[in-house]
Amino acid sequence: MDRGRAVLAAVALAAALALPSAAGPFWTGLVTQMYIFGLLALSVDLLLGHAGLFSLTHASFFAVSAYTVAILQVRYAVPTALAAPAGILAGTLLALLFGLAVRTRGVYFILITIAFGYVVWGVAHRWSSFTGGDNGVTNVPFPALGAAAITSHTQYYYLVLAAVIVCGLGYRVFMRSPFGLGLRGIKASESRMQSLGFRTSAHLYAAFVLSGALASFAGVLYVYYNKFVNPVAASFPVSVEAALMAIVGGTGTIIGPFLGAAVVLGLRNWVSSFFELHAAVMGAVFIATVLWAPQGLVGIAGRLRARFGKAKERTP
Amino acid sequence: MNPLFRNVSLSGAAALLAALGMGAAAHAQTGPIKIGVLAPVTGPLATPGKDMVEGMKLYWEQVNYTAGGRKVELVIADTTCNPDQALTQARRLVHQEKVHFMIGPLCGHEGPAVAQVSKETGVPLVMDAAGADTITKWSRTPSVVRTAVSASQIGHPWGEYMYKELGLRNVTFIGQDYTWGHEVTLGAVRSFTALGGKVAKMIWNPIGTKDYGPTIAAIPEDTDGVSAVVVGADRVRLFEAWFNFGMDKKKKIYGGYWLHQDVLPQMDDRAIGLIGNSLNYAAGLQTPENIAFTTAFAKAYKRLPSWFGESAYTAGLWTKTAIDSINGKVEDREAFLKAMRAVSVKAPRGPLKLDAYDNPIQNVYVSRIQKIKHPVLGEVLTNVPVKTYEGVSQFWTWDPKEFLARGPYKR
Repeated sequence: MDRGRAVLAAVALAAALALPSAAGPFWTGLVTQMYIFGLLALSVDLLLGHAGLFSLTHASFFAVSAYTVAILQVRYAVPTALAAPAGILAGTLLALLFGLAVRTRGVYFILITIAFGYVVWGVAHRWSSFTGGDNGVTNVPFPALGAAAITSHTQYYYLVLAAVIVCGLGYRVFMRSPFGLGLRGIKASESRMQSLGFRTSAHLYAAFVLSGALASFAGVLYVYYNKFVNPVAASFPVSVEAALMAIVGGTGTIIGPFLGAAVVLGLRNWVSSFFELHAAVMGAVFIATVLWAPQGLVGIAGRLRARFGKAKERTP
Repeated sequence: MNPLFRNVSLSGAAALLAALGMGAAAHAQTGPIKIGVLAPVTGPLATPGKDMVEGMKLYWEQVNYTAGGRKVELVIADTTCNPDQALTQARRLVHQEKVHFMIGPLCGHEGPAVAQVSKETGVPLVMDAAGADTITKWSRTPSVVRTAVSASQIGHPWGEYMYKELGLRNVTFIGQDYTWGHEVTLGAVRSFTALGGKVAKMIWNPIGTKDYGPTIAAIPEDTDGVSAVVVGADRVRLFEAWFNFGMDKKKKIYGGYWLHQDVLPQMDDRAIGLIGNSLNYAAGLQTPENIAFTTAFAKAYKRLPSWFGESAYTAGLWTKTAIDSINGKVEDREAFLKAMRAVSVKAPRGPLKLDAYDNPIQNVYVSRIQKIKHPVLGEVLTNVPVKTYEGVSQFWTWDPKEFLARGPYKR
């Protein structure tokens, strides 16, 4: 079992490494986008899959960090070494504030996060002297650390791939730590965790801020990929899509959000090139997921493996 | 449409070719000219997006999809009016489809995204709809030319028209609260106030405002006219609210950018006689070029074209004229862009030529809504020009340097 997984991981890594030379710049760009939005979906899933909180404000952290980097780099010529951490910091500070939402649960939590999201979108859209309004901030350069500079989309692809792997491994360690297990406990039964002596609100608040920080990091990767940012990045549909990516891929897993991002972005960008009603295809996929595969793609894979594994046991 | 299998099987081979540096150049001049068209085929602006695609197709059908002695192929990409999607689709057109140049996009905020791809790949971009002022003013890209219109280019004549022709002195401006709305409205405010007019009140509404009652209630008593710059479904809501509140008996409303052709089928006879637009196109324009165009459009699609349809048609005409003048050598991007900047065309909307900042010098028509008898469609409402401002520059009467130094219009 473990060996099978290692082989699978090695194959996936080899495929990811070979992609730019095998598939050309369009796919390289699209897969870079999938990694970045997968990371955003992963940050949403930290709350959704592990703590049971459905947040619809993650585009806010994503966009605030992207705007911070863009404005610092373009208007003030601040180098990447300062601009990128400043972006993550700005997004995380916002998460410290928005984290107050964990005082509520269920539908109230969803509603308050929607409201937060609209505030940020409104500011990005309306404060045009600072954010550039609809036109946003354009001409963001590739990241550069002193002499080491990214000069092509292929190089940037590898940078994002490395970042995603590091985040994925860190996420795994984190989720297996007592803190991560505590989150799962809260999801299963908050009152029981309280009676065991956990301060569940503080626990959830910390998870919210951490999740915001991860979304901010995705925002930094996004702005260097896109080279521009505008209010759409902060908009409600981005938050919704991030949550849908996690659900389609499979909540509570690491690979799931990335698979979900691949499905959603793949459908939108590739299917639209030959099928006009691509949005309907996407809708059908979501409905099918909710009805028949609530555990997402990862859940389907698990079920197949269980069936296949049992069959194998019976044969000898 | 692109068959699914071609995309899959060719992508690898195409990438290898590109990697070996023998992409387009190897089969230059023999294959067809590929034009990438970026339009919102789905999403909130699908209706103008459809006009854009159909106007473009109409033109190329009329010339049998040939230019400069070569075949022409259109590759349509759906941007859904989302800049991320527009960026990815533009990259697809450039890298996968290997288009020679791109035409589009429609939504203002997609403009910078697609310009970005043009900038990083050098593939020319012909903007035939997106109107953000900054594209041809403060953030120009060498590989980008605009064949449509700058937002404030239609606002400036509108301000003068209100002062000089309508005799207004104290106007209430209703504007849509986003970049295009700001630039059109504030352009009109600037030329209007430069002549001595006064702004009674500015009222901004976000796109998708459901209720125009508060807007109408906020119009001051002493104002002698109302100017409307409204887009999308808001156009109908303002129209309905205006008549429902009985404002038609109390005040005069004029459209700076309001009731274009695409919304007129939803209007009734109350619209007749209203000044609907100050725009670089009016479907009721009586020139031989426009009569031929609108008749062909009406025959093909059973409706009259909006300015998006005309703009796409003209982008076809403009690019063909340029391609013909360089004998089809579109692989030479510099030569193509130079030709785009050099040629002048007689479009349905009038004579066109680019200024030194890559934006067309063109007529602006103030039009009135009238019911006409159309040879193909029968009785239809349309915009009939009542005043033509000829050869309007995006800088209006101001010196370009001074205009640029002043900075963009912002509310």
